[in-house]
Amino acid sequence: MATTTAAVTLTSDLLSDAMSVTASTTCMKAGTTADGLDQLEYAVVEIATGDEYDLICTTPTASKASKLYVKNHSIDETYYVAVTQNAQAIGRLYGGDWMFIPADFHDAAADIAMTSNGGTNKIEYALFHEGTVLTTT
Amino acid sequence: MATTTATITLSSTDLLSDELALTTTSTLTKTGTATGVEHTSGLASKTITSTAKGTASGQVTLYTADDFAAIPYLYVKNSATTAGHKIFIYDDSTSGDPLQFQLDAGDWGFIPMHGDKTYKAYATNNPTKMEFMVIGQDQ
Repeated sequence: MATTTAAVTLTSDLLSDAMSVTASTTCMKAGTTADGLDQLEYAVVEIATGDEYDLICTTPTASKASKLYVKNHSIDETYYVAVTQNAQAIGRLYGGDWMFIPADFHDAAADIAMTSNGGTNKIEYALFHEGTVLTTT
Repeated sequence: MATTTATITLSSTDLLSDELALTTTSTLTKTGTATGVEHTSGLASKTITSTAKGTASGQVTLYTADDFAAIPYLYVKNSATTAGHKIFIYDDSTSGDPLQFQLDAGDWGFIPMHGDKTYKAYATNNPTKMEFMVIGQDQ
């Protein structure tokens, strides 16, 4: 089995005491602590303004685990991509922002799409999963 | 101005033929600016006792629509230690309460939200402990 670790650290001086929150997880297949996710889709794409890009063209098998990492490499903080799942807004990634989502993108209706705004956004993404099936169009 | 940073590290020595070691840091700023965000909900630890969405009680509200200006950042972690004890986060503002994120035991997520939707959580097991925090610009 592959062992992939995802860790996060949040730090801030927002509060009167310094804040530092950390978490780390080993990316496992669904419902087990013994077998790690062993498949990966990793890419960098440039999305022109107004274009929609389907981040997940093949969807992970139903009831299987998947983790999605996305980063917007745009250096202009006014550029962003709008992120949707099944046409429902999840959020926006402005230049420099990243997101990490553990989810069950199990069918075509749960696909992730990104629409570029402000200019051409350069997007890096990695999908860790345990098998995919082709989506229906 | 406050400075808040979020750093992710993805690492593996055996997933690929070469080592995977990806680290990136972003500074959380007010939308479309380089000015740091100033507010946070604070880190919360709560117990979910509901095993279904739409029930009257036992779910945990992570974020209420429009509480913060866009874009609020959501950090969430499933504190369970038993595999299969999942947390489901759904959009309570949209018809049908669409499911958006799913965290197995120990999983965490970091999501720059749209900010105009209420997020709630239920779990496969009662009780299931979770922690979460929203960082952004209160309005």
